[in-house]
Amino acid sequence: MLTVKERGQFVATLRYVHVSLMETLAAWVPTTPEMEVKLLFGEHIWDMAQHADNLGKRTFELRMPLQKSMRPADGYVDLLAAVAAIEPTAQRLAAMYDVLLPALVERQRQYVEQTDKLVDAPTVRILERFFADAARMIDGAQALRGELPELRLTAGQWATALRTREAGLDLIAAEAPAVSVALGA
Amino acid sequence: MGAARKFATKIVRGVEVRDDPAREPCFTVVQLHHDVPDSGAIGEEARRQRIHRDYNQEVQTLEIAAICLTDFPDAPWELRMEFARQCWDEARHAGIMYRRLLALGGWKGMYPIANLDWSVVGMLDSLAARLAVQNRTFEAGSLDMGAMSLPGFREQGLEHEAELSDAVDADEIHHVRFANKWLKRLTDEQPRAVLEIASAMAWLRKVIAATELDYLKDIPTSDHARQLAGFSEAEVAEVVRMHQTAIARATAAGRSGDE
Repeated sequence: MLTVKERGQFVATLRYVHVSLMETLAAWVPTTPEMEVKLLFGEHIWDMAQHADNLGKRTFELRMPLQKSMRPADGYVDLLAAVAAIEPTAQRLAAMYDVLLPALVERQRQYVEQTDKLVDAPTVRILERFFADAARMIDGAQALRGELPELRLTAGQWATALRTREAGLDLIAAEAPAVSVALGA
Repeated sequence: MGAARKFATKIVRGVEVRDDPAREPCFTVVQLHHDVPDSGAIGEEARRQRIHRDYNQEVQTLEIAAICLTDFPDAPWELRMEFARQCWDEARHAGIMYRRLLALGGWKGMYPIANLDWSVVGMLDSLAARLAVQNRTFEAGSLDMGAMSLPGFREQGLEHEAELSDAVDADEIHHVRFANKWLKRLTDEQPRAVLEIASAMAWLRKVIAATELDYLKDIPTSDHARQLAGFSEAEVAEVVRMHQTAIARATAAGRSGDE
């Protein structure tokens, strides 16, 4: 069974990632030319903020400060920075909605599989809500690219390479006791 | 308004302001509000112009809220949540305007746009100053404008537009209210914030004088909306007094110009 400390570290690390993605979407709003994409990002800033807030309330319940964030592993922080620096709109959409969000869902599903669903039910509820919201966000981006095909990525291997990079990274920082190998990958 | 800048600026009528946010090539971006077409209140063309203008205005407000998240990462989390929520609200408002524009036979880029609110607020390097100028001045002004335009919509039989305008205003009241709440908190906790606000308002007056940004000058103050948004009765009375003074000055200036 995951300890309180391990669960707290996972939740606080996830909070860091959600705040970071909220800030990335916010930074992209004025620098993305397409109005429809700005509006999509604007909506999802609020989604990310709400999940960060829920995770931050949960850290307090897990004997950490309220709204505690923990820095992920260096490689993951570098990935977040690399994504934030992307400029072409099609790559921004692909990185956020085809790579990072599905990967975050997958890491959280692995956590849900490993944690005790009764002991850790409040965390599980928060993550399950994220699954539903992430699916809506991904669908929204997909629908927009259906309406505006110029927003589709022409070079599919670019997203594949980013996906491979993400999958090879630890999420939890090494100095923190590992939650598990599966969660860190 | 600060020494080192991490963003590009431009000069409008001799005043340095932040360069425009990204826009698609279909848009013609002009520098001053009075270069954005405005045929008045009545007629299909006037409606399309107003909605096209409001569409870009809502996007600008989204962009301003978004940079309040990125430029001030150490702001209190509760305040960042307010800006994040505002981003969604403004995105929805822009979506509403765009849907209405299409329904009226309009399209993106149909008329020139100006991004002066962004250019002004984006120069302010204090969060308290941005709350004071954007939320407490520009958005409070748009509440007054909304209250004024509702009867006009209804007189023209534009019930749908009246309902949409009312719905948008209900959201905007909260954006002004949270600014009022946080300005009180920030100035209580950091007396320096008072100076930052005063400096920003002084700079805003300079920009208004140079660019004729005072497109709100003919809008009567909406006491009800402002009180819902957290302005005290004394503050509303002060805004009314300033408005009446402005009208008196404008009238006097007009008279002297006639002579």
